[in-house]
Amino acid sequence: MTERPVRYAEVGDLAARIPVSVVWELTLACDLACNHCGSRAGRRRRDELSTAECLDLIRQLAELGTRDIGLIGGEAYLRKDWIELIAAITEAGIECGLQSGGRNLSEDRVAKAAAAGLKGVGISIDGLRDVHDALRGVPGSFDLGLAAIRRARAHGLVATVNSQVNQGSLPQLREMMDVIVEAGATNWQLVLTVAMGNAADRPEMLLQPYQMLELMPLLAELAREARSRGLFLQLGNNIGYFGPYEAALRDLSDDELHWAGCSAGDSVLGIEADGTIKSCPGLPRPYAGGNVRDRSLREIWEESEPLAFTRRRTVDDLWGFCRTCYYAEVCMGGCTWTAHSLFGRPGNNPMCHYRALEMDRKGLRERLVKVRDAEGLPFDHGEFEIVVEPARTREPDRIVIHG
Amino acid sequence: MAEPGRIPPELILCRGCRQFVFAGRSDCAFCGGDLDALAAEHEARLAEVRRAAEALRAALAGHAPAS
Repeated sequence: MTERPVRYAEVGDLAARIPVSVVWELTLACDLACNHCGSRAGRRRRDELSTAECLDLIRQLAELGTRDIGLIGGEAYLRKDWIELIAAITEAGIECGLQSGGRNLSEDRVAKAAAAGLKGVGISIDGLRDVHDALRGVPGSFDLGLAAIRRARAHGLVATVNSQVNQGSLPQLREMMDVIVEAGATNWQLVLTVAMGNAADRPEMLLQPYQMLELMPLLAELAREARSRGLFLQLGNNIGYFGPYEAALRDLSDDELHWAGCSAGDSVLGIEADGTIKSCPGLPRPYAGGNVRDRSLREIWEESEPLAFTRRRTVDDLWGFCRTCYYAEVCMGGCTWTAHSLFGRPGNNPMCHYRALEMDRKGLRERLVKVRDAEGLPFDHGEFEIVVEPARTREPDRIVIHG
Repeated sequence: MAEPGRIPPELILCRGCRQFVFAGRSDCAFCGGDLDALAAEHEARLAEVRRAAEALRAALAGHAPAS
């Protein structure tokens, strides 16, 4: 029996509302130039937390019962104190992982991070060489990423690959799996590219809702094959929901597990490099619950209303297809980050397998069309409309649902 | 004291069509199957697979090469 990762929340964690899993953007400085980057990372924020502030935040997280911290960026390793922070997280009894593009995750950096207590490294691989390098904006980044995976494995770290699923990578997923297995990764986490930040400027890269009909059977097939090759496929929170592959895809070792709604603000917490606290690291500013420079983390976590949106949401807050869906009460519209980035508000998420199947059953499909550009700021988004059209044509019908 | 988090309603897996349905129902909302009967059949099949696997393990152990 595989041991459950400590970042997985149990019912008791939800009842006590423990921020079990924390995603911490240590810096917005980045050495890649990704075409899909939601935070439009590149330069560090002007007012990122100091080392002393970070150490105090780690102490506060430990007090709240956090069990897992995933360091992200930008590139977390571009902060000079990142090793010191990994050591402090480990010392506090919290598991620490690093999510990285891997471009400059050198032997020296990996060795020091492993010695400081780093448990795992997640490296982004978003397609085969040409697709990946084009998405990441740096020629050679594919090979550097694979080298980082091998380095992590050599130092005994758990190696995960994180992949964006979009128009570029969808046709390459099967071949990508071969590359990932060959590199020695043991986990493969997939997430749909979300129409936020740089991706909002490139809507042509986004999957269309009806492509869930292609994606989900493929993932189910790959998950079975991956497992026989020692690789565990994990769905990101914006891939689902329900439909005939839910049991097979959510957790291969327990087919009673299913999507139970977003846990942002209930067991998941996000931190921006300037100390802003959000319930999910991907969400835009209206979801910010406060800043640890102004209030204690406990006050923000326990009292801030913007962090409470998953607890406050009812079926009456849903709209469009999601409002009357069979699974509405459990699902609550799937990933808020995905829906809000498309329509400027949550509660209606067309990127859903069950929904695509129901539309297909009626001979229809949904297609997203961008109607407003993003402003060009970190975590911003444009606006999309859903065009409902006959399933087997590209000619739009006259039904348009506004956001 | 933190306000409790959201605990969603319970779903169970229909062993006939593998769709999740709300617990407490007797029939599947998707295939119409009898959920309890399908679950019992599933358990019986699982038990059979476990017995076969155990028998295979025992047979293989009996033929293990001497070390």
